Amino acid sequence: MLMNEKLLRDAFGDFLAQNGDHYPELVVLDADLSSSTRTNRFAQRFPRKFFNFGIAEQNMMGAAIGFAISGKMPVVSGFSIFTTGRAWEFIRLICHDNLNVKIITTHGGLVGEDGSTHNALEDLSLMGTLPNISILIPSDIIELKEMLKCALNSNGPFYIRLPRGSFQTIHNPHFKLHMGSPEILKEGKDICLIGIGSGASLASTAAEIIERDRKISIKVINLSTIKPINVPTLISALKNVNKIIIIEEHNTYCGAGSILTRIISEHTPKLIKVLGIEDSFGESGSRVKLLEKYGFTLQNLLIQMNKILDR
Amino acid sequence: MVVLSASEEKELLIDILEIKKDILTMIYKAQSGHPGGSLSCANLIYLLYKKVMKIDSQNPAWKERDYFILSKGHAAPALYAVLSKIGFIDRSELFTLRQLGSTLQGHPIKNEQLGIEVSTGSLGMGLSIGVGCALAAKLDKNNRRIYVVLGDGELNEGSTWEAAMAASHYKLDNLTAIIDRNGIQIDGSTEEVMALEPLAEKWKAFGWNVIEVDGSNLGELFEGFNKSKNIIRKPTVLISYLIKGSDVSFMEHTKKYHGRPPSKQEYTSAISEIDQIIETISVK
Repeated sequence: MLMNEKLLRDAFGDFLAQNGDHYPELVVLDADLSSSTRTNRFAQRFPRKFFNFGIAEQNMMGAAIGFAISGKMPVVSGFSIFTTGRAWEFIRLICHDNLNVKIITTHGGLVGEDGSTHNALEDLSLMGTLPNISILIPSDIIELKEMLKCALNSNGPFYIRLPRGSFQTIHNPHFKLHMGSPEILKEGKDICLIGIGSGASLASTAAEIIERDRKISIKVINLSTIKPINVPTLISALKNVNKIIIIEEHNTYCGAGSILTRIISEHTPKLIKVLGIEDSFGESGSRVKLLEKYGFTLQNLLIQMNKILDR
Repeated sequence: MVVLSASEEKELLIDILEIKKDILTMIYKAQSGHPGGSLSCANLIYLLYKKVMKIDSQNPAWKERDYFILSKGHAAPALYAVLSKIGFIDRSELFTLRQLGSTLQGHPIKNEQLGIEVSTGSLGMGLSIGVGCALAAKLDKNNRRIYVVLGDGELNEGSTWEAAMAASHYKLDNLTAIIDRNGIQIDGSTEEVMALEPLAEKWKAFGWNVIEVDGSNLGELFEGFNKSKNIIRKPTVLISYLIKGSDVSFMEHTKKYHGRPPSKQEYTSAISEIDQIIETISVK
């Protein structure tokens, strides 16, 4: 966590509280975690439109279905793994009936001291397999706000995964989101780093430092829409590079990296490495130490780059 | 208190028996489906649509309608046959049940034009959905009522009890749950598989207004529904004692026809049994 950056969940709670009036059908649902997810800020301003379901994610998600078929737009919040995991079959029904439910969770990826039981390293595979859903992962607060506007102004189910902490800001305040399309943060030709969530700022920083020290030209992409992916723009963005590293805070066995690898390889042959959590639940520790242990560091990225560039 | 007149009851009974014949024909033609639990609850679903719920028979998607949720989605043939009887589904469509390309899948699929509010089939989800509908209606100050039909077997699902807790916490007096208490689930009697009793006490302890009715008695059911409309600050559950496979002697009180279609001989004999009941009622 970066001490000088605002937490993404703070920005989420503030957005709901500040924009509640713009969305007359908006209701917010939480499962006894509103002080952590910051939906309590909405609850304070709009008490009639906030519903606490207690520690009962299944019923909360089922109630969201009821709200949606009654013309409301529920935002359902909680911790990423409990919300997507415990209530998965209700989310499946939301997607099955293509209902206007926005699932916006916090504590995605490695959470830190709470440990492996609270990590969400499987949520993207749980959500990715569902038809109709849009899946967004912000790389910073500016992008998050764009995503929230986009989700609340669109019809249909959304999953937006926020971290517990903060991400370094990489966008300027005038940034506009193009949902589905990769965002090229930096051009380059020897290798492409695709960052997802926290991976985007890591890729940007790493590219800058590594290019300064070595004669490599690095392309950097922020990929914040996991689903639906605009395939032609993705393939076109990767046209001039043959080697790719995808960085995601998720189990690599079945995550965004796997999804992207399949899509890319169906169109063009590339050598791809997915840097993420390798089939593990993680563990307790400070976030900084966890990121170090699981390889989300400049040093490891350089090692991985050298490996792939040598092949 | 409004009660059903003898002639109204007679008319309803005949309609319900015709609905039961449609259920059997649909499942027989599909050679797949759930006759036992469709026959058990057909009467209460029809009574709801015909005499209890606020609906517009010309417009299934009427904004002011009451909501019906069939949590026990495997009773889809009963729902489809009722929706056909009231004019929301074309009768010829009924006999495409479970076929490729039919709008009538094995379990109900959300379809506003047919009057199906939400897809159901995976058990234990309907009451939570009803809770959301009831909260939304309260928020909008809409006097819509929400009716959720639950199988007794699906009360095994923990999510049902999460919803029961929430409905009473939020004092959802616009929500009525109806339990098809036929006592039988796939593997045997509910008490052998996963005991539910004392069921009424459980719902009372969760803060619900509990009404126990002989579900085969339309007058009693109707009275139960009317009573539930007048309860304030509490949701109501009608524990409706019904008979699995009701009105087909060899399908009654058995798990055998939970999810098994009748053979040709069984189908013929079932239809003739129901025809005989219709004849007896008609001459009364």
